[in-house]
Amino acid sequence: MQVQVLSARFDIPDANKIEIAKEHGAYATLDKVFAMQPEEIIEVVKASGLRGRGGAGFPTGLKWSFLPKNIDKPVYLAVNSDESEPATFKDRFILVRDPHMLIEGIIICCYAIKSHAAYIYIRGEYTTQVKVLQAAIDEAYAAGYLGDSVAGHDYKLDVTVHRGAGAYVCGEETALLESIEGRKGQPRSKPPFPAVEGLYGCPTIINNVQSIASLPFILTNGADAYKAYGTEKSPGTHLFGISGLVKKPGMYELPLGLPLLEVIDKVAGGVRDGRTLKGVIPGGSSTPVLTPEEAQTVTLDYESMAAHKTMFGSGGIVVLDDTVDMVKLVENLIYFYHHESCGQCTPCREGLGWMLKIVRKIIRGEGTTADIDLLTELCDNIEMKTVCVLSAACTMSTRSYLNKFRHEFEAYVAGGAPAQAAM
Amino acid sequence: MAEKVKLFVNGQEVEVEAGKNLIDAFGAIGIEIPHLCYHPALGADGNCRMCLVGIEDGRPPLVPACKTKVAEGMKVQLDAEKIKKIQRDIMELELINHPIDCPICDQAGECKLQDYYMKYDGQPSRMTVKPVLKAKKMDFGCGVVHDQERCVLCARCVRFTRLITKTGELGIVNRTDAARVNIFPGRPLNNRYALNVVDLCPVGAMTSRDFRFKQRAWFLTKSPSICHGCSKGCNIFIDHNREKYKDDIIYRYRPRLNEKVNGYFMCDEGRMTYKLENDNRLGTPRVNGREAGFDEAIESVRRAVSEAKKAVVLISPNASLEQMFAAQQFATAINAPVSGYSDGYVKAGDGDDFLIKDDKSANRASFALLGIDDSKTAFEAALNGADLLLSFDNDLSRSLSGDALTQLLADTKLIMVASSQTDCVAKAAVAVPVASYSEDAGSLVNCDGRLQSYEVAVVKNQPAKSLIEVLHLCGGEIKSNQEARAGLQAAVAVLKDIDLEQIPAEGIALTESEVAHVAA
Repeated sequence: MQVQVLSARFDIPDANKIEIAKEHGAYATLDKVFAMQPEEIIEVVKASGLRGRGGAGFPTGLKWSFLPKNIDKPVYLAVNSDESEPATFKDRFILVRDPHMLIEGIIICCYAIKSHAAYIYIRGEYTTQVKVLQAAIDEAYAAGYLGDSVAGHDYKLDVTVHRGAGAYVCGEETALLESIEGRKGQPRSKPPFPAVEGLYGCPTIINNVQSIASLPFILTNGADAYKAYGTEKSPGTHLFGISGLVKKPGMYELPLGLPLLEVIDKVAGGVRDGRTLKGVIPGGSSTPVLTPEEAQTVTLDYESMAAHKTMFGSGGIVVLDDTVDMVKLVENLIYFYHHESCGQCTPCREGLGWMLKIVRKIIRGEGTTADIDLLTELCDNIEMKTVCVLSAACTMSTRSYLNKFRHEFEAYVAGGAPAQAAM
Repeated sequence: MAEKVKLFVNGQEVEVEAGKNLIDAFGAIGIEIPHLCYHPALGADGNCRMCLVGIEDGRPPLVPACKTKVAEGMKVQLDAEKIKKIQRDIMELELINHPIDCPICDQAGECKLQDYYMKYDGQPSRMTVKPVLKAKKMDFGCGVVHDQERCVLCARCVRFTRLITKTGELGIVNRTDAARVNIFPGRPLNNRYALNVVDLCPVGAMTSRDFRFKQRAWFLTKSPSICHGCSKGCNIFIDHNREKYKDDIIYRYRPRLNEKVNGYFMCDEGRMTYKLENDNRLGTPRVNGREAGFDEAIESVRRAVSEAKKAVVLISPNASLEQMFAAQQFATAINAPVSGYSDGYVKAGDGDDFLIKDDKSANRASFALLGIDDSKTAFEAALNGADLLLSFDNDLSRSLSGDALTQLLADTKLIMVASSQTDCVAKAAVAVPVASYSEDAGSLVNCDGRLQSYEVAVVKNQPAKSLIEVLHLCGGEIKSNQEARAGLQAAVAVLKDIDLEQIPAEGIALTESEVAHVAA
């Protein structure tokens, strides 16, 4: 099942070093790229069907084409390496195992969108990753792949690494821009969208690390080679981080479209012996949970996930077995989103804290059925009333647990033992 | 006229001004969209989410009205159940961690949270868990006291210090429901407009140390007036109240919107000049150092005028245009030269490029209009050979040193018609109390040549006579503001076409174009 498209160099020792990476094909496609017109590259990326790997799955080539034409302002690329969604651990592999793939992707993207400055916004907690990445960038400058003349071509490109200070919300693209500009990381109201007015008021494209890292393969092998993987509407491969209560948790590169349960069983070794599957979080903590029944039919692509009323998300799959207390899981979830709320909009700032206190009241055994109903209602009252979707990330997922595992909340209210199996 | 667009509100077609956001455009035609963070002077921030409205066939269907411009044909939903529910929900979330201490809150009665609760919420609390506790009565400096628990984090105050004063003392620290407005440690508010944050605050989070706990807002009468603190002439509300068995007292000044003069703001010094109207007023007339009856004092003035070999009339630069004209007419009648000498009212270098001016008097520009010389040389020339100086509320002790004043008074008798107790009043042979501007009506010309008028705000239990009445009792022809205005129109060319009884709210710039516009 596993494939090696993005992860081709992951297992080669010292592939983060430029000479090793070059031996295995890094930067080899740049001559071909610079022989093309920027618009042609955008067409290739559109044809590949590559979709944004940050979670929303918006077509990458289409995003680029939103840039205004004939403008006199500089265009910026911001690479989103904030990777803060709980259960997501894919970009960190690219940053450490194959940073030159990312840099090559940045060169391709910048040339296509006519940008001469790229920022890599990396989460503050990634201390090792930032060191490896910066060393790779330094190597790329020394080797002439970055700087005044990229790979000997008449094209200037500078790449700057900007470290975040540890805020989940800075993965939201406009909060990320605010943070790069030196302000408090708070999402901006849209419109204007970043493609029109982004970093420093200039047109800006913001792409996820994995999206950018997919570009060298697409440009080297062509759109069709990329589309050979995955499904028609969700082509390509994805780095899946599988965690939770499985025998072999880890990061696996898989084509899109595989059946979820098959992946859990064959790739991740299945749930632990003697345990049964209770639920699956399909793509990071904010995606609505799937019951075992739903997991039977879902496949790992954007369309199937949407059909199951959840989201593909970031490929961070969390497998839950019958030992998991869903109420405590929800408490942990709300705690995270409450803690990470930027505090700008009233519903998210005040509401998530209220939800957290209610769920804790239920766990303490002081809750009532009315509290469960209130929690459900608050999800509706808060969702989509805010500048960004952080609050929705909390409410969409919380609502799924309340709907699908309400009996566990009711068990707490009734004062009985929580409804999970003994550990 | 401004360009208009037609659009639909709740299915009804309305015409509003183009280019504005939904809140301002609809507000101008009397349709309220509730909002906490938006303020016209500070722009849209979009954080309170109270102004979310529906746009039929819109993408997205739900938008913040503060950030949405009106557009031709737009279909705005304000009364849909979904919008009303959002307003209720936002109000509930605003209030869960609010202390709801209205009975001891200064803002009560003029609080957006209270008003919106009554109008858009009205639901009982569902809060059964402990609220977030934050700091209270924090001293932010400049007389501003902050209560973090009452704060709704609308950031108006933060934006004021960043956008208007550009001093940036305030910020929002922390995230989530721990977010709070604060100053940097040891760096309190330090600007001359700081108290505007108290007005800007839609709730009771920002309070004025000076006003705290003095009055309930609903007892205050809010009378429009003009600040006399400097020559800018900021438009204000005089908030005053006569408590039972007490006198009519002013409790605060607040800025009143005039886009042509002060916008939404006023300076802190001007704001505090209300105290001069309350305190240290000249109450009882004095003749030769002893208290006297009013009639006796007036009689003394009349006698002094008739006995004087040469009298000089000195007018205050704070006097209204009408008062100046009446005094000028009086001076002509008694054959006395007129001076407006008042160098002491100017504090050179004190002004800034916003509202504060060097000249701490309100109406010096009218001197020029009436041809009254306020130079020191003209004043000294006028005094030459004079044995009587009649000062109409001009406090000479501000302009002359004690020695110079004593020397002047050695062979000149001083009569003070004054509203306040001053050194000059103490030295005067006769002192006659007179109404101050808060108790009188009149017109002023500010530093930019804008003519504005004010009405009587405060009526004291024992009202002092107006300056024009006193002038009339002393022998002046003019009996009232109306007579003065008629005289002014005849005498001053630039006022010829202006109806001084009906000066528009924004005032009139005394330039040819605007005067012509008003006359037309």
